[in-house]
Amino acid sequence: MEKKLALYICTGCGIGDAINVEKISNIAKNAQKVPVVKNHFALCGSEGLETIKADIANEGVNTIVIAGCSPRVKFEEFSFPGCIVERVPVRELAIQLIEKQEDQQIAAEDYIKMGVIKAQKGDMPEPFIMETVKTILVIGGGIAGMTSALQCADMGYEVVLVEKEAELGGFVNKLYKKIPTSLPYKEPLIVDTDIQATIKAVESNPKIKVYKSSKVEKTEGQPGAFDVTISTEGKEEVVKIGAIILAAGWKPYDATKLEHLGYGKFKDVVTGIEFEEIAKKGKGKILRPSDGKAAKKVAFVLCAGSRDPNHLPYCSAMCCASALKQTKYVRQDDDACAMVFYKDIRTPARTEYYYKEAQNDAGVMLAKADVIGVSDAGNGNMFVEMENSLLGERVKVEADLVVLATGIVPATLDDPIINLQYRQGPGLPDLELYNGFADSNFICFQYETRRTGVYAAGCVRQPMNMAEAQEDASGAALKAIQCAEHVAQGIAVHPRAWDKTYPDPFMQKCTSCKRCTEECPFGAIDEDEKGTPYFKPNRCRRCATCMGACPERIISFKDYHVDMIGTMLKSVSVPSEDDDPRLIVLVCENDAYPALDAAAKSGIKIDKAVRFVQLRCLGSTNLVWIADALSKGIDGMLLMGCKYGENYQCHFAKGSELANYRLGKVQETLSRLQLESERVQMVQLAIDEFEKVPQMINDFVERVKEIGPNPFKGF
Amino acid sequence: MSEQQKTEVTVKPDLEFVKDVIASGGGDLKKCYQCSTCTVVCSVTPDDKPFPRKEMLYAQWGMKDKLISNPDIWLCHQCSDCTAYCPRGAKPGEVLGAVRKMAIQHYSAPSFLAKMVNDPKYLIVLLAFPAIIFLALLHYQGFLFGEIPRNEMGQIAFSKMFYPTYYIDPVFVPAALFAVISFIMGIKRYWADMARNHPLPAGSDTTSSLIETLKEIISHNNFKKCNVTKDRSTAHLLVFFSFIGLAITTSWAVFYLYILGRPSPYPLYDPMKIVGNVSAIGLLIGITLVTNNRMKNAIKAGKGSYYDWLFISVIYVIAVTGILAQLTRLADIAPVAYFIYFLHLVFVFFLFFYAPFSKMAHMVYRTTAMVFARQAKR
Amino acid sequence: MAEQAEGGLCRVVVVGGGFSGLTAAVDAAETGAEVVLIEKNPYLGGRVAQLNKYFPKMCPPMCGLEINFRRIKTNPLIKFYTTAEVESITGSEGDFTVNVMINPGFIKDNCVSCNACAEVCPVERANDFNFGMDKTKAVYLPYNQAMPFKYTIDSRVCKGASCAKCVEACKYNAIDLSMKPEKIAIKANSVILATGWNPYDATRMDNLNFGKVKNVITNMMMERLSSVTGPTCGQIKRPSDGKVVNKIAFVQCAGSRDENHLEFCSYICCMASLKQTQYIREQNPDSEVCIFYIDIRTPGKYEQFYWKVKEDPNVTFTKGKVAKIEQAQGSDDVVVEAEDMTTGEKKRTTVDMVVLATGMEPSGASTKVNGFNYTPEGFGSPDKGLFVAGCSKNPMDVSKSAQDATGAAMKAIKSGQRR
Repeated sequence: MEKKLALYICTGCGIGDAINVEKISNIAKNAQKVPVVKNHFALCGSEGLETIKADIANEGVNTIVIAGCSPRVKFEEFSFPGCIVERVPVRELAIQLIEKQEDQQIAAEDYIKMGVIKAQKGDMPEPFIMETVKTILVIGGGIAGMTSALQCADMGYEVVLVEKEAELGGFVNKLYKKIPTSLPYKEPLIVDTDIQATIKAVESNPKIKVYKSSKVEKTEGQPGAFDVTISTEGKEEVVKIGAIILAAGWKPYDATKLEHLGYGKFKDVVTGIEFEEIAKKGKGKILRPSDGKAAKKVAFVLCAGSRDPNHLPYCSAMCCASALKQTKYVRQDDDACAMVFYKDIRTPARTEYYYKEAQNDAGVMLAKADVIGVSDAGNGNMFVEMENSLLGERVKVEADLVVLATGIVPATLDDPIINLQYRQGPGLPDLELYNGFADSNFICFQYETRRTGVYAAGCVRQPMNMAEAQEDASGAALKAIQCAEHVAQGIAVHPRAWDKTYPDPFMQKCTSCKRCTEECPFGAIDEDEKGTPYFKPNRCRRCATCMGACPERIISFKDYHVDMIGTMLKSVSVPSEDDDPRLIVLVCENDAYPALDAAAKSGIKIDKAVRFVQLRCLGSTNLVWIADALSKGIDGMLLMGCKYGENYQCHFAKGSELANYRLGKVQETLSRLQLESERVQMVQLAIDEFEKVPQMINDFVERVKEIGPNPFKGF
Repeated sequence: MSEQQKTEVTVKPDLEFVKDVIASGGGDLKKCYQCSTCTVVCSVTPDDKPFPRKEMLYAQWGMKDKLISNPDIWLCHQCSDCTAYCPRGAKPGEVLGAVRKMAIQHYSAPSFLAKMVNDPKYLIVLLAFPAIIFLALLHYQGFLFGEIPRNEMGQIAFSKMFYPTYYIDPVFVPAALFAVISFIMGIKRYWADMARNHPLPAGSDTTSSLIETLKEIISHNNFKKCNVTKDRSTAHLLVFFSFIGLAITTSWAVFYLYILGRPSPYPLYDPMKIVGNVSAIGLLIGITLVTNNRMKNAIKAGKGSYYDWLFISVIYVIAVTGILAQLTRLADIAPVAYFIYFLHLVFVFFLFFYAPFSKMAHMVYRTTAMVFARQAKR
Repeated sequence: MAEQAEGGLCRVVVVGGGFSGLTAAVDAAETGAEVVLIEKNPYLGGRVAQLNKYFPKMCPPMCGLEINFRRIKTNPLIKFYTTAEVESITGSEGDFTVNVMINPGFIKDNCVSCNACAEVCPVERANDFNFGMDKTKAVYLPYNQAMPFKYTIDSRVCKGASCAKCVEACKYNAIDLSMKPEKIAIKANSVILATGWNPYDATRMDNLNFGKVKNVITNMMMERLSSVTGPTCGQIKRPSDGKVVNKIAFVQCAGSRDENHLEFCSYICCMASLKQTQYIREQNPDSEVCIFYIDIRTPGKYEQFYWKVKEDPNVTFTKGKVAKIEQAQGSDDVVVEAEDMTTGEKKRTTVDMVVLATGMEPSGASTKVNGFNYTPEGFGSPDKGLFVAGCSKNPMDVSKSAQDATGAAMKAIKSGQRR
C-alpha cells in the first residue's frame, strides 16, 4: 500500500492554548515530511471529522495521525476503515500530566514526532490465512464433555468426542440418584440421573463421532489445524481438529491416604462414590459391605481430604450437597438416621434451599465438628471421633456405616491428557498454581489457558457440581467455536481479538538462540529438527513477547516492530542542561496506560522529564531499545507493567515477568555502554493505581538525578 | 481446657425422641442450621452457655438427657423473639415449648396419664372421669332425676348440690393430694437429674434461691424483657394473680364453711365474694388476652400446640362457667345454673387432677428450674 | 421503525452492561453475532465498576473491564446504548422485538469530558456511585475511568433550561437540555438478560440497626470506602467522625440465608469480607478484624484465600451470627452481639466500624423486564430464545458470571441462528 500521511492536530481541550501548533506543524511538515498537516478546534466534532474524511476522499490520505486525546476515547469517531490511524494522546500525556506550558510544548513535540514515526513505520495488517478445519475435539465423555459436544453439534460443527472408558457418562453413571436439576427443591429430593438420555443423544447425533475406550496420544499443529492422534485399544487414528475442549473430569481423592478415618481398616468405611454404588446395587437399600446388614446409623464425614493442608488444599465444592443428597438414600428407611459431620456446610446460592429441605427430616442430623478419627466400637460398629464439635469438645458417635465425602482431584493432576507436541511440553502450563486443575488465571476470562485453542470445562477446570458443569460446558463450547472461526479468518483470539497482525520473522537472520521458543507464554513457537524456531501463528496471541526476546530483532508485526519503537525512542528530545534529565517510560497499553489516562483526568501532575511510550505488552520490550535510547543521551528508562508472580495480572500471562527477567540481563548492555544499571528499572502498576504514578516517577527521577546525567548527552 | 481435661463423651442420637419433639409442636426443629440468632435476640438467657441455640442442636440429635433435665428450658418464657428472628423458620420458641411439655410428661407419674393429656383422642375420657364421679354422687343424692335442691331460703345453693360438702371434698381433696404427690415425685427426680448434670456449687442455699425466685415470679421481671410478644407478660401476670385471688377465695370459703359453719351462697358484698368475683373477671380478661396475643403473634411466634390450647381452653371454661354459674344462680334459672356449676366442677377437677401432666405443671417445674438455676448461679 | 439485523449469524440483544452483559456481548460478537447492548446507567461496567478489588487475586476490576471495553470498541458487530431501559420484549424465539426507552443524559457524544460544565453547575447531588457518601454536581462524570468517557446530567436534580449555566460553559456545544426520551425498537433473534443485582436494603434488618447506629456500613459501601476513587480516596475512615478504623467487625449473612430477607446464600459475601479484611489489614498494620459467620463458604480454590486470612493473628473468626447491633454508650463506637458457639458464650464486641455483608438481591426483585419470567425472588427464568446470565440468574461471583455469560452467549447464538 502506497501510504499518504496526514497529521491532524486538535487544538481543543486546552491543547491549542498550551502549545504552539504552528511550530509543531512545521516540524512535521519539514523535518518529518508529512504531506498533509492540519489543525482544528474540535477534531472529534462533525466539522473536524469531515475535514479528515474529505482528505481521505480527495487527497488520497490513508495514514492518519491524530494528535489530540487518548486512543481510549472517541474511538468510534476516529475510525476510518481502510486507513492506518495513529492516535497521539497529547491532551493527556503532554498537557494534563505536565504542569508548565513550556514543558508541555516540548512534550507535545516529542509525542507528535513519535506518533508520526509510528505511522510512517507501520503497515496495514494483512491476516495470516491458512487452510483450517472447524471440527471440535472434546476430551472426556462425562456430563461436561457430552454437553459441550451437543452444543457444538447443534451449532453445526463436527465434533470428535474421546472417552477413556468403554461407556459415556463419566461419574454420573455410578450415581444412584441425583439432586433435582431445577428449583424448587421439594420432595422428592433425589431423582434419577437420566444420563442414558444424554448418552443416547450424543451417540445418535450424526455430527458427533464418539471414540470410546480411547485416549489422545498426541496433539500436533495449531488451532484450526491440529493433528490429533487418537488411540483406541491399540489402533491409532489421526484426525484434523480446529479447537479442543478439555473435559476430562475428575477422580476421587485416594481414600487410602485417609487412614486416620479408618478407610481400608474398616470395611464399613466407604467413599462417597462407593456409597453411591452401594445404594445403586441395593436399589436404594443401604446394606453395609461387611455383613450385608441394613445400615441404620450412617455417619457422613465431610471434607475427607478436602480443605486439609495435608491432603487437598481446596474445597471440592460438590461434597456438601452430595452428602445431603445421600442422607436421603439413608432416609428411605424411616428407622435409619444419617449423621453429617461438617466443617462448614457449603451450599452456595440457591443450593441453600436444598440444604434446608434435606435437613428438614427427623433422621438427618448435622453437626459442625472436626472429625479426628474412626475407631472400633467393639460391636461391629465404629465410633466417629471428633473435636470442637457443637455437640461437645471431645465427642464420639457410634455408626454402623461411615461415608467419607472424599474430595476430588482433576484428571490433569498427573496426566497432561492433551499431550501437546509443543516445545514447551505436553500439558497446560501453570497447573501447579491451581493444584492441577486446568483453571484460568483470569477472574474475568474463565476459559483462557496458555494454550490457544484449548478450553477446559467441568471439574477438570474447577471443582463444581453437575449442573454447574453443564453450564460450564456451554461456555467452553463457545470459546472453542470462536477460536476455530477466528483462526479461519486469520484473526487473533482473546485478548487481542481484533488483531489481524501476526509475528513474521525474518528467518534468514535467525541464529536459533531459541529465546523466543522458550519465552513465548503460549508456546506458539516450536523448533524444527535443526533447532530453528518454527512459528505457529494460530497459537499466537500477538503479545510480541518473541519480538522482545529476539536479540537479532528479526521478529516483526506489520504495525509493530523493533525498529519502529527504537526509532521513536531515538527521536525523543534530550535537554541540553545537565540537571534537566530526560527519561522514557515504556508502558503496557492494557493497564499502565489507562492508569495514566485516569491520572490525567484526576489532575495529577508528573515530572516533566518523562516521555511515555505504549507497548502491546511489556513482554515485547527489546533490550536494544534501551541501548538505542541511552546511547542517544536519554538519562534513564522505566518499564511500567502489570503485576507478576502467582497472581499475575498480565493479560499475556508472562509479559511483565519476562520484561523484568530481561532487565536482569540489561547489565551487560549497559556496561558495554559504561552506564549504571540503575538507569533502567521496572515497576509494577495496576490499572487502578493511577495515584501512585507521580511518586513512582519522582522516585525514579530522583534516583537518576543522583546518578547524574547520561555521559552520552549531547553526542 | 487442655487435651487431657477434655473428656470424651459419647453422643447417642435418638431418632424416636426427635420424632416426639416434632410431634409435640417442634415441627420445624430440623430446619435449624445453628446460626445462634435465637440466642442473641433472647432477652432472658444468661450470657454463659446461653439458650436456645444449643437446645436446638440437642433436640435435633435427640439428646434427651441434655434437654429434659436442663433447667434452661424453663428459663425460657417463650417470648418468641427467637422464633420471629429465626432465619430458617425453625421456631426455637415452639421447640422449647415442646421440650418442656415432654419434660413434664417425663417426670410426672403415672406416665399413661401424661400420654393421655397430650393426646386429643383421650380428651373425652379425661373429662368423663370427673363427670362420672360427679354424676354418680348426684345420683346417689337423688338429684340427678329428682328435685332441684334449694336452701332454706329457697335460693339456688350450690352448696346444696353435694350436701353436706363432704360429698364433694372427698373428691377434690384426694384429687389435689394425688396431684401434689405426683408433683413431688416428679420434682424430686427432676432436681436429682439437674443436680447430677449440673453440680450445684458448694454451700448454695435453696431457701434463699426460692425466695428470690418467688420475688421474680411475682414481678415477672424477666418475662417483661420479651420484645416480639411484649404484651404476654401482662396477660400472664393477670392470669397468675387471678389464680392467686381464686386460691385465696377458696381458702376463705373453707374458713367460712368449716370454721364459721356458714355455707354458701354468700352475699355479693361479702369481702370474700368481692375478692372471688374480681379474680374471676381478672382470669377471664387475662385468658382472653392470652388467646388474643397468641392469635396476633401466630405468624411471628408460631401457632402453639394442642397442649397449649388445651390448657388455655380449660382455664377459659373454668372462668366462663364460674361466672355464668353465679349469674344464672342470681337469675334463679335453676336447672341451667346447676348444669353450669356441674361443668365448672368437672373442669376444675380436670385442671387440678391433671395438673402434673398438663401445661399447668409449668408452674411447678418452672419454679423448680428457676430455683435450681439461681442456686447454680445460672 | 424497528431496526433490522444487518449482518452476522444472528442478532442478540443483551440487557445489562455489567460484567455478565459485557462478557456475553463480547463473546457473542466475537463468535460472529451482531449484538446490541442495553444499559440503564450512563456507563458500562455495572456493579463491578464500583468494586475496589476482586478476590482472590486482589486485582482491580478495571483491568478486565478495560480489555472488554477495548473488545467492544474494536468490534463493529457490537452496538451499545447507555441510559437505556428495556420497556418490553415481544415476539417469540428467533423473532423478538425489544422496545427500548433511551433516557436523555442531556450530553451529546461530542462531550470531551473537560469538566467545564461541572465547574459552573450550582446543584449538588448525593453520589449514588459512592452510595451517597459524597456528592457530585448535577452534571458529572460517573467515575474517572467511565466508559463511555462522557458527562451526564441527573435530571432529577438539574434545574434545566432555567439555569443552563453548563450550556454556556461548554465550548463544544455538547449540552442539550431539551433532549427528549427516545423510543427505539430493536429486532432480535434472541435476548440475554444480564441485569445483575442490587445490594439488599440493610435497613430492613431492624435488629442490625443500619442507618440508626452510626458507623454501620454495608460491604458495597466498604468497597467505595477502600477505593482510590471513593469518597475518602481509599483511606478507610469511619463515616461519623473520620476516625481511622482500628477495629472492625464483619457481619456475615446480613440478610442472606434468611427466610425473612433473602432466603438464598448470596455466594460472594464470605469472599468479599475476606477480601475487605485484607484491605484494612494492609492499610493499617495494627488493625483488628472480627468476622462473625454461620458457615464460611469459600468453595474450590477460594479455600486458600480463606486460609491466608485465617493465618493473620489480628483476624478472628467467630462462629455465631451477629443478631444485635447497638451504639456504644457515649461514643461513636459500635457494639455487636453474637454467641461464640465454640465457647458457648454470648459476647458483646466493641468496634470502630461494622461492615454488614449484605447479600445480593436480583435486579428482578425491584425491576422486571417485561417479557421475561421471574422466580419469586426475582431471578430471571430462561425461556425459548430468552436467556439469563450472571447474578440476575443466580447469586455468583465475577468469575462465575464470566463463565455463565459465555455459556449464555452460546445458547443465545444457538437459539438465534436456527431460523
